Amino acid sequence: MKPGLALSFGYEDGSLHALTSAGTAPEILLRDIYSLPGIDLNDFSVLFVSMHSDQRFLAARALQIEQFLVRGGVVVANGHHAYSYLPRMAGFHTIHHYRLSDITVLRLTDHPIWHGIDPRDLTFRRGVSGFYGRVWHEAPPDAQIIHALGKPDMPLDFIYPVGRGHVLFHGGNDLWTFGGEDKQLASRIMQWVAGERDVQ
Amino acid sequence: MSLAILDGGTFYHHAAIHGQRYRELFDKTIYAPELTADALVGVTFLIVPDRVNPNILRTKRDVLIDFAKAGHTLAVFGENRADTWLPGVTWAPRPTNFWWWLDKDARPPNRLLASEHEFFQAVPFEHTIWHFHGVLTPPAGARALIDVPADPQGRDSGGALLYEDRVTLPGSMLVSTLDPFYHHGSNFMPAATKLLDGFLPWARAKAALRAYSSDV
Repeated sequence: MKPGLALSFGYEDGSLHALTSAGTAPEILLRDIYSLPGIDLNDFSVLFVSMHSDQRFLAARALQIEQFLVRGGVVVANGHHAYSYLPRMAGFHTIHHYRLSDITVLRLTDHPIWHGIDPRDLTFRRGVSGFYGRVWHEAPPDAQIIHALGKPDMPLDFIYPVGRGHVLFHGGNDLWTFGGEDKQLASRIMQWVAGERDVQ
Repeated sequence: MSLAILDGGTFYHHAAIHGQRYRELFDKTIYAPELTADALVGVTFLIVPDRVNPNILRTKRDVLIDFAKAGHTLAVFGENRADTWLPGVTWAPRPTNFWWWLDKDARPPNRLLASEHEFFQAVPFEHTIWHFHGVLTPPAGARALIDVPADPQGRDSGGALLYEDRVTLPGSMLVSTLDPFYHHGSNFMPAATKLLDGFLPWARAKAALRAYSSDV
């Protein structure tokens, strides 16, 4: 399988460290986000988009990203979708003055990337809730919804097709900072892309 | 026109800058990759929010320095490696302790050094307290407003979380390690919102005052 590509954002951050130190096979290469126009995405299997990415810039590259998806690429996108850089995405909804019941992670579908990970361990980090997600997005109607936030009709993690490819969307803090050392989500995402794309 | 802010294009910059809560406070919003000297004509106070890509800021270094050289005010927040593009800035990373507040007896290490400074009339000290990303060593003649003591594990000898530098360049520079735009724009930390609730109207008032005084 081709390597993964992660777009860096100019400063060191725990999220990028978690992604590149996961020891994935194949490896995940880091490139500065603004070098995207000069990159042939056909050289990569997965495009990782951090929550710290300049989405306004990505929106200007939306056609390049869509063509990558149509040809069979996978985009793993994190954060709140504030600019239209992903095809078929609608807006997000902020939950003001949320309580724990509003941001409890609900598992709607089992999926190999999250296999064996208790949703409570996503809701809480050292007893504190909110790291995994605090807003919900409108998912495309044919999306496979893995997790919702508070209520089943408020999608948080979902996978949907674009051409021969897929978008794995996570509307919160970077996915690869979760799962702990023994259930590293970056490695699981690469394994899923490699052979087990269990998507409808 | 007087108060301007750079927009790094992330979702949290979008929420904080273009969201309903603060958008009326900015006279001008400049997408960071499009910053030019012309874009700053009429601006007296420029905010560089936290987590703007430092690769961009380094390419705009001359524009930012010329702005401060012209006697204007530059407020620069954390996680954008200001030490690589802004004169006088020395920064040392410190592993972030996100959890200090979980122990109800814990006291934050943050120390208020200049309670009489007008910044704290707009922003109560307690609204500046959350985890921090590294420490700053103010240049000679600059004034630390908030600092922390040496790292208990000996990784640094302490330093400022916010300082004011009126000596390195003709203008004024407020430099901080704090990242309120990220936390407010992520809907994830009430203290960050409270900081911006105080800071942004203050910045707007300061900017207007300077614009007026340069007109007369």
